[in-house]
Amino acid sequence: MSDTILLEVLTPERRVFSARVSEVQFPTADLGYYGVLPGHTPLVTALGSGLVYYTENDQKHWLTVFGGFAEVGPEHVTILARISETVDMIDADRAEAARVRALKMIKDADTEDELDVAQAKLNASLVRLQAAGRPVGH
Amino acid sequence: MAGLQDIRRRIRSVKNTQQVTKAMKMISAVKLRKSQESLLALRPYAAKMLDVVRNVVTRSEELGASIDSPIAQAFLAPREEKNIRLVVIASDKGLCGGFNANVLKQATAFADATASTIVHLDAVGKRAADWARKRGMACAADHTGVSLAGLPALAQAIAEEAARQYEAGEIDALYVIHNYFASALAQVPTTLRVFPMDIGAHAGESVPPLLEPSPVRVLDALLPRFIETTFLHALLESSASEHGARMAAMDKASTNAEDMIARLTLNMNKLRQASITNQIIEIVSGANA
Repeated sequence: MSDTILLEVLTPERRVFSARVSEVQFPTADLGYYGVLPGHTPLVTALGSGLVYYTENDQKHWLTVFGGFAEVGPEHVTILARISETVDMIDADRAEAARVRALKMIKDADTEDELDVAQAKLNASLVRLQAAGRPVGH
Repeated sequence: MAGLQDIRRRIRSVKNTQQVTKAMKMISAVKLRKSQESLLALRPYAAKMLDVVRNVVTRSEELGASIDSPIAQAFLAPREEKNIRLVVIASDKGLCGGFNANVLKQATAFADATASTIVHLDAVGKRAADWARKRGMACAADHTGVSLAGLPALAQAIAEEAARQYEAGEIDALYVIHNYFASALAQVPTTLRVFPMDIGAHAGESVPPLLEPSPVRVLDALLPRFIETTFLHALLESSASEHGARMAAMDKASTNAEDMIARLTLNMNKLRQASITNQIIEIVSGANA
């Protein structure tokens, strides 16, 4: 058995990431973070929004993921994401602008639906800012 | 016989048309490349998605009827098809050879032959909407003027609505009629049953996967996404087909214009020579007299 796992991150638009890594952590829809080491039992689970952490050559890296699925096998982790970005694809200034916009939307929201949309936008911008190394203090 | 002036005018007009068809061909070539790129980018995702769905559905079948979720049952134990939803995908614009005619012929044949009631019809593209109106079929929604970038959102909207309708018992199946992109020159009209879909048995890993947090939760989240992906795939196939068909049609039109110009030029030269010969004969016979 190999001591690495093949991490693949796919979205409908592109193959975001594909490389052999030694550890993966991903956010699930309702169970919190899930950590996977080589030789994990097969598993399929729904993903939430957040950062996927992986260790490549003893270095910790991350990329964003918004919804989708993870399929885990002994030697592979495949993430089928709705949206996913590597760190260098993120524009931190745009994310900051989106955060400010989302906060304003939350203030102005009249209906429950509007509030949900605004909340989702705020979360997305926070995840992106965190990925870009500019976390916002609460 | 037409005079020299008339022929010159016709040549000029054909040349103008040729310029337009050549430009349209080039535009279509660019659009075709973009559509094709999206299509190719989706393929690994769609293939993996199908693999996961197969895996999960095979696993869930072992668990059997304990799966209490309508959309999961659509894949595990489909209901009898009484009411169906049909999506016809054509294009907004014409000038693309048999692209629209072929897909609409297929749609007509399907609508005539089906034993189920089409309770919900969606037309994607102006030509499909026109077709539905001509047949007197009520169209629940026209999706016209959707750009390539807007297709994922459209796929998501229709997939989510269809999944909801299945759960509510309004529809028993979702069909799509679209052009399949076999190559840039060949488009095949195809009828696809998006769900319930016979996905086949899972081959490979012998260890069944854990489904976290529960099989129902995974299926409920996974299957609408699968429908969406399948549907997006069909939309992109159609988009690539449209541009391929238009490129081929415009290429043919440009070649035809070329032939026509050659023929007209030949006629014009013949006519000019005839008139020159006539003039010489007149001069010669005048000198002889």
